Amino acid sequence: MSKTQTPGADAAAVASAGSKHGTIVVKRTIPATVEELFDAWLDAESLAQWMHPGIELPSTATVDARVGGTFEVVMHHPDGPKRHHGVYRVIERNRKLVFTWISDATHHAETLVTVDFHASVDGTEIVLTHERMPDHEAGLSHVHGWTAALELLEELLSA
Amino acid sequence: MVEYKSSRLDALFGAMSDATRRAILARLAQSDARVTELASAFTISLNSTSKHIRVLERAGLVTRSVQGRDHVLSLNAGPMAEAAGWMEFYRRFWTDRLAALEEFVVKKRNTTRRGSTQ
Repeated sequence: MSKTQTPGADAAAVASAGSKHGTIVVKRTIPATVEELFDAWLDAESLAQWMHPGIELPSTATVDARVGGTFEVVMHHPDGPKRHHGVYRVIERNRKLVFTWISDATHHAETLVTVDFHASVDGTEIVLTHERMPDHEAGLSHVHGWTAALELLEELLSA
Repeated sequence: MVEYKSSRLDALFGAMSDATRRAILARLAQSDARVTELASAFTISLNSTSKHIRVLERAGLVTRSVQGRDHVLSLNAGPMAEAAGWMEFYRRFWTDRLAALEEFVVKKRNTTRRGSTQ
């Protein structure tokens, strides 16, 4: 970390703290090594076998495991295929994986998934964080205002 | 499973993409208001206010009741709850996926071990 922080970095830190509201965090400690788990995310054949909606039919997955590379997972639901896709943003082997995530359920807006891997006495703790993208990063004009809209509605609903 | 009605969400997020309309919603969250009250609160023309309100009505976010000569507007939070549902959807989605990941790696390891002890 550099000692001199740019104004941009400060702004990013504030934005990130602010976006905690409306962020999903799911944790699970799995009795397996960090290597086994990390590789299961980036190996297409493995990914297809666990990234499916709890039915016997495996998904179809393609993975270009490099920063800027894309992935696609098509889940074969009984009511039709569901496509999920995105771009890898950060790949730190056995530590961290960050990728964008777009699907029907995100209303085709770009969202961001961060998967952190921590070795623990019981195996590996996975901390998965799924958040919406800040507006300035959302490339699609029709989702402009996505963050502001969600923030407002969360505020109104919790009032 | 939560199903997302794309056209309804389009209308919802379209309606909420505008700062004035979000301000109108925030105002209506406090109490019902007449169209004229909103126009003066946001210093925009009555005509412009009416246009914004029609967009909000189409998205189902605002309902209008006519009381004498006044049109009184109320916030309807229902469609917003539906939009917020994506968070609940993904909390469950990732919980299930990580359980499946565990099942996958444990099964794979057992298979590998059996294979290597031959």
